[in-house]
Order: sequence, then structure tokens, then C-alpha cells
Amino acid sequence: MVTVQPRVQLPSEVAKDDIFEVRTLISHPMETGLRLDESKHVIPRHLINKFTCRYNDAVAFSVDIHESVAANPYVSFYLRATESGRLQFLWEEDGGAVYRLESSITVRG
Amino acid sequence: MKRTAISSIVLRRRAVLRALWWGGLGVAGSTLGTRLCRGAALDTPEAHGELIRKLTGRVPVESPRVHLEMPPVFSNGYTVPLTLEVDSPMIQTDYVRLVHVLAPLNPITLVGSFLFTPRSGRARVSTRIRLAEPQNVLAAAEMSDGSLLMTKTWVNVDSNGCA
Repeated sequence: MVTVQPRVQLPSEVAKDDIFEVRTLISHPMETGLRLDESKHVIPRHLINKFTCRYNDAVAFSVDIHESVAANPYVSFYLRATESGRLQFLWEEDGGAVYRLESSITVRG
Repeated sequence: MKRTAISSIVLRRRAVLRALWWGGLGVAGSTLGTRLCRGAALDTPEAHGELIRKLTGRVPVESPRVHLEMPPVFSNGYTVPLTLEVDSPMIQTDYVRLVHVLAPLNPITLVGSFLFTPRSGRARVSTRIRLAEPQNVLAAAEMSDGSLLMTKTWVNVDSNGCA
């Protein structure tokens, strides 16, 4: 059994209007539904199908993820520092499970 | 006698193929190509444009503002690094709305769609994708002014990342 483990890396403090990088990773097999097991049965599709980043509740960035994204999906992207607050990260899985992380960011100046 | 019959059929077929090819019957040629070799027919500029048109409803324009950075040769098709960037000020009146990445020769061609906002600051994203075979990877960027910009990059992989 694989444990699904989301991770996020970002600065805790940035200057106003700076553009900073956010790096995210979730350990996940990303089963495509196209593979067969040893007894030639289809291994059912089991994907993280969406990633969303909210900055003070507004969607700032998201990805619709399909089968061709590699296992343990890694996504790095950028945000503009507008005001201090919270960042929420959501990974949605086939079948409705949701994995979340939250961090806070301090914007100086 | 039999041999002659077969070879005349083959010759006739060759003549027809040559006529199609040299006659520039693009539509007939690509239909035939699909039957003969799916891969080659799907990895042409016409097929790329058609894939993107089906997905977005618009005809893309190739643009140097869209950058798709991938290794030209990569041994492992299971996890090929990809960095995508679109030149844009990313302000309320001018930003990149959505970028689709496609791998035309993968069993499922749409790899992902990346939604940006003015809050992104920069329309740049890195991830890792699976590639079933060597092919052109495409990126199509829907801009806030309604234009659709695209680019492509050739990637050679040694192993099938979709098996």
C-alpha cells in the first residue's frame, strides 16, 4: 500500500510584488488504467486529476492532470506576493479523495 | 501468371500512392497514412493543429512567446522533465489564461492543462511527464485577449513510459 504524501516548498517571507517559486510534490502511483497486472487484468485508473493553489481563498493557479503526467506528480509554479495571508494546496484524486496542505506567507513592505 | 497479377497490383498500388503523394492530395494522403502508420500521420504540423483545434475550438498560431523546454534525448519515458513558459506581463489586462500540453503519440494525448491568473506573476511551470515514444510535444497557450499561441519540441525517448 502506497501512502499518499503531499509536500510543498515555498519561502515564508517575501517582499511585496516579488514573484516567488512554489514547489509541490505528491507521492502517488498515478495509475493510468492502461496497464495490466500479472494475470492480464486491467489495473484500474487511479490518478491525482487536479491540483489547485488558492492564495487568500482566490484560485491563483491550477492544473488539470491527465494520465501522461508522471508518477509522484511534481509541479513547480510562481506566485506574485500581493499581501500576507494563507496559501492552500489541494490535490484531488479519482474517487473523490482530497489531500490538502496549508502554509502562511508574510509579505513585507 | 499469378505472379504477374500480384506484381501488377503492387505496381498499380505504388502508382496510386505516388500519384496521391505527388499530386499533393493532402487529405487523401493523410487518411491513407493513418491506416498505414498511425504514428507518422499524427505527428505532422496539420495533425498538431487539428488536435489543438478540437481541444480549444480555435486554430493555433506558432509563436516564439511560448517556450517548451524538454531534453531532446531522454532515456526514460516514465519521467521526462518539462518546463513551460509563456512571455507575458501577467497583469489583469494581459495574461496567460490556460496552457494545454499534448503528446500526440501517447495513448491519451492531453497531458495536462495549466491555469494561470494575474496572481501567478509569471507563466512558468515545471513538471514531469510520460512519453510512449519519440515525438513532438505541443504546448498551446490561450491568452486573455483570446489568441491561441503554440509551440512544439521534439523529444526522443528510449523506453515507453506508458506501458
